Amino acid sequence: MSHYSETVGGGRYERVLLWVEDHLRWILTLPALAVLAAFFIYPVGRALVLSLYQFDTGGRQFVALENYVAILTAGAFWQSLWITAKFMFFAVSLEVGLGIAIAFVLNSKVRFRGLIQTIGLVPLVISPTVVALLWQLLYQNGGVLDSLVTPLTNGPVPWLSDPSIALYALVLPDVWQMTPLVTLIVLAGLQSVPDHVQEAAMMDGAGRMRRLVDVTLPYIKELVVLVLILRVIGTMRVFAKVFVLTRGGPAKSTEVISMAMYREAFSYGNYGRASTMALLLLLIALAITYAFATVSEVEF
Amino acid sequence: MATDTKPKRGVGRALLAGVERIHETLDSYGLVPTVTNGIALLFVVWTLFPVYWMVSGSLRTRSDLLATPPKLVSTALTVGNYPELFAQRPAFYEFLFNSVVVTVGSTALAVLLGTAATYGFVNYEFPYDLGRFHLPFLVLTTRFLPPIVTVIPLYVIFDTANLLNTRLGLVLAYAAFNIPFVVWMLKGFFAELPDSIVEAAVLDGHTELGAFFKIVLPMVRPGLIAATIFTVINAWNELLFAVILTSNTEAQTLPVALATFKTAYAIQWELLTVAGTIAMAPVLLFAFLVREKLLRGFTMGAVR
Repeated sequence: MSHYSETVGGGRYERVLLWVEDHLRWILTLPALAVLAAFFIYPVGRALVLSLYQFDTGGRQFVALENYVAILTAGAFWQSLWITAKFMFFAVSLEVGLGIAIAFVLNSKVRFRGLIQTIGLVPLVISPTVVALLWQLLYQNGGVLDSLVTPLTNGPVPWLSDPSIALYALVLPDVWQMTPLVTLIVLAGLQSVPDHVQEAAMMDGAGRMRRLVDVTLPYIKELVVLVLILRVIGTMRVFAKVFVLTRGGPAKSTEVISMAMYREAFSYGNYGRASTMALLLLLIALAITYAFATVSEVEF
Repeated sequence: MATDTKPKRGVGRALLAGVERIHETLDSYGLVPTVTNGIALLFVVWTLFPVYWMVSGSLRTRSDLLATPPKLVSTALTVGNYPELFAQRPAFYEFLFNSVVVTVGSTALAVLLGTAATYGFVNYEFPYDLGRFHLPFLVLTTRFLPPIVTVIPLYVIFDTANLLNTRLGLVLAYAAFNIPFVVWMLKGFFAELPDSIVEAAVLDGHTELGAFFKIVLPMVRPGLIAATIFTVINAWNELLFAVILTSNTEAQTLPVALATFKTAYAIQWELLTVAGTIAMAPVLLFAFLVREKLLRGFTMGAVR
């Protein structure tokens, strides 16, 4: 097919080259597709098979759909979904709300804006594992956070060991790490509003409020949807912070879905159950994706 | 522009109206700059303090670090914790080495395969419209698939393939997870190249492969650099795959070492802060060096 077939002829090297040229589209694309097939499609297929087995000390046993029935009828799976949903709700609303607010503040006449943007990158590039440790240190009994809240609480707070507080103590590090992402993206959108558009609106006699709604908002609306999607997906897969800070405890109060699956597979050795949960989570993720794809026009 | 004079209803608009009222009140007292700069300062302190606390902690003695009430500034700094960490836990040399190998290897693989695939799908025609079908697939895969979904069957697969607890296994897994990311960052760059570029190069006597390396790649260099930066950071920071697919110093990376640092007795904070600082330092330094590209990368796809 290539233009060379006619122009280059002869030796062995040329023939190899010709072959490469003729099949270039496949040579370029197939390796990546093969890796993806091996690491995404095959594992999902394997999970489908595993989900039909029960694992115990004696080996594995075919149980058909028993895992599905057990998981869907017992409370633990729903409980961990509920905990994930709560984590998602608090983290995402705080991150998006605070993030947008800070973006608006930084978009006004603030000194050292460039420097502040660079500082916003700091939490984003740190490993979630290290972020968890940063906060564990702040949560130390009698540590920095305790001394901040002591006037209100009359003493140290059992941040990570009280089942009614621990989930919020996990939300905070996530908010610390991810709020700057929202701020940076929305701020970039705000700064992409051309000055002349603002000025034209002002000439038209539009007040600040009208300019905000009619001029600025259209520029950032899509971005707000984008960060919302990014953070919903991001919080759904939270693992490192939970693993380091609470391991799902105390009393399973922070056992988010990925932690529950980890425990099922690697504490109890029940890969069948864990695979079943994985597939159910996959369905949920697909549903969320589909919902977002239909309501928004954001391109990924 | 809308012609109705009443702003539409909605939570967002109500919020904006509230903010606007506060703004006007502040404005009438001339306090706007004070408040905005104050909030910005608060944001900076809130963001930097936890990092400062860990880095400064790595330079303090245990009692100084864990004093109640906390001493915000220490006068007795020491670098002794650093050699102490490696003396007490020599495995940290290996964790560091594993992290470097896995990061470099998976980044090279992901950027290579991701770049080639993006170029292929953007620039060539495929039977049955494969390109139209595959590119969104390539891109969507990791953005929506929670990694825990694949890592559990992957553990079983790695077990039979003898890839458990190997650096190669992690390199492959991270590359797989980063390829869609690379494609996502690059597809805009490739789509913007004029079609005639390769044709012109071919007329100039380049082969198509030669044109790709000599003409096309240099033109998408900013995209390649951005994709590399993000892949490096992703790989260096990853915990879930590493903690599940590795079991000892043969392949365990720094995040695994950090996540499992606690002993049965107490956390050796004076050493854990050192380990944490060592894990943070390279990415922070790297991020500072490429901050412009990083900023653009985080906001890219959004604003272009």
